[in-house]
Amino acid sequence: MVGANAAGVEAASAARKKDRTAEITLLTLEKNAGYSRCGLPFVIGGQIPNFRDLIVYPAAYFQMLKLNLRTETKVTGVNIKDKTVTIVNKDGATETLTYDSLVIATGADAFMPPIKGREKLGILSLRGLEDGERIDAVVKAGAKSAVIMGAGLIGLETGVALIERGLRVTIVEMLPQILPQMLDADMAKSVQEHLESKGMRILTGKTVEEFLGEEKVTAIMAGGERIDADLFISAFGVRANTKLAVDAGIPLGETRAIKTNARMETDVKDVYAVGDCAESPSIITHKVTCAQLGTIAVRQGKVAGANAAGDYALFTGVLVSAVTRLFDVEAGATGLTEAAAARNRMEVITGAISSKTKADYYPNAKPIKVKLVVEKESQRIVGAQIIGGEEVTQRINALSFAIQKQMNVRELAKADTAYAPPLCETWEPMVLAAEMVLMKLR
Amino acid sequence: MVKVEGYEVPEGLYYSKDFAWIKVEGDKVRMGVTDYAQKSLREIVYAELPAAGSEVKQGEPYGTVESVKAVSDLIAGASGTVEEVNEEVKSKPETLNEEPFGKGWLLVVKPSNLQAELGNLMDFNAAVEWHKAQSQAK
Repeated sequence: MVGANAAGVEAASAARKKDRTAEITLLTLEKNAGYSRCGLPFVIGGQIPNFRDLIVYPAAYFQMLKLNLRTETKVTGVNIKDKTVTIVNKDGATETLTYDSLVIATGADAFMPPIKGREKLGILSLRGLEDGERIDAVVKAGAKSAVIMGAGLIGLETGVALIERGLRVTIVEMLPQILPQMLDADMAKSVQEHLESKGMRILTGKTVEEFLGEEKVTAIMAGGERIDADLFISAFGVRANTKLAVDAGIPLGETRAIKTNARMETDVKDVYAVGDCAESPSIITHKVTCAQLGTIAVRQGKVAGANAAGDYALFTGVLVSAVTRLFDVEAGATGLTEAAAARNRMEVITGAISSKTKADYYPNAKPIKVKLVVEKESQRIVGAQIIGGEEVTQRINALSFAIQKQMNVRELAKADTAYAPPLCETWEPMVLAAEMVLMKLR
Repeated sequence: MVKVEGYEVPEGLYYSKDFAWIKVEGDKVRMGVTDYAQKSLREIVYAELPAAGSEVKQGEPYGTVESVKAVSDLIAGASGTVEEVNEEVKSKPETLNEEPFGKGWLLVVKPSNLQAELGNLMDFNAAVEWHKAQSQAK
């Protein structure tokens, strides 16, 4: 396994389950293995005391599963003909390892567009444990303000964390809305308003034009405005780390991530690719995607690991289900947004409903808004977005199951749901949203 | 009992670097896996244990334990003849997660070479230091 985080460790574990005696080696350039990247913003925010707490798989795990973990090891080449991997080990020595099956889980790197002054020091990103420690150190050294470039999940979660640490935060997003991959503009607007009510400054539709400062960045130019800050975080997005695969002659797909089949095998026999560096098909459009989420990484890793050890397992594709909590608001999505459906030339009807998370008369009921995206001809549900004060995640999961089972909106409108005043409304908001779509279809 | 980095390490037991604990009870030895082991494996769903009467050897596997995500050999903390097998763990493997040092014991063994073998194990103080070093190692 080249890579020892979500996808790599999952693949190694699945391989061990299938084959109790195989020699399994994990190679990673990082000092740490088996930690949760997704938890990084919450260490910065202070909800989790230490970065080390994010290590999901302690040393005992690797030892008990007889997984040979080699940290601070650089993989310099793969020879697909001889089935060997060349590495530079911790001590700087070159070694050649042989494999029967190879799993590439090289992840993704933070992407930096060609902005003037980008070579200047002090532009941080949040990808690994050490990136988190760097940001934390700047905050501890007394930073008062931060600029975050990019309003995706990482950018916003980090922005929230920094506000919780007392910084003034400005978010700059090139597109006209926040969370552009996840939400439609109408849903994103209510999240943005919540963030702004908590003091986050959000500039949408603005491009970062230049990094200013001598050696070190002290300000940016964005949309013609100069913004000074003590901390600069690039959250433009990530790009699949494919150099090793490309150099080895392993083909990429149309998303520029490593091309895989339903067994997560690349075009080269016995070489698998998983996680942020690999692509896989959308369950709805059947087009390839490279969605780069932790849940996708582990599901792919499980499939590839089993196959690498001689089993037969299939990856069924992705709906790109995602959730986040930003201050007091949870936002989640699964399947296609209305905008993504339009890009796929799909004719859709949407229905959105605002309701409460408990009976309206029950104390502390919080607002919740459900939007459904339904393909017009088949009446199949193809996407959902939910924003609410609580109870978003499991509704997103329920709708993800519905989409996977190709449920149509008529069936959802008749769904049998549970009810008790302290827990939910009599009429489940997902069902009401389905009824809304049915009215439009009349 | 102390907690080292969130892992329980009770006093009065001997520990191996294969995550086994043993407790000397008169002329018998009770053995199991440590809290550190069960927390690393997480939700344990299956335990394969030897039958009474079989022999186990210190440092060698005598069974396996499987969680939702992982599978690991069980390594004996001491050599001897198996006298009792914890049937409750076989029918309710989650007992290993709940009480690794209590109801989650695995075997009672009549040891064959205990005095010499204790020298290969860590006592409480050594085990505390080892658990600290393990979690520092990342």
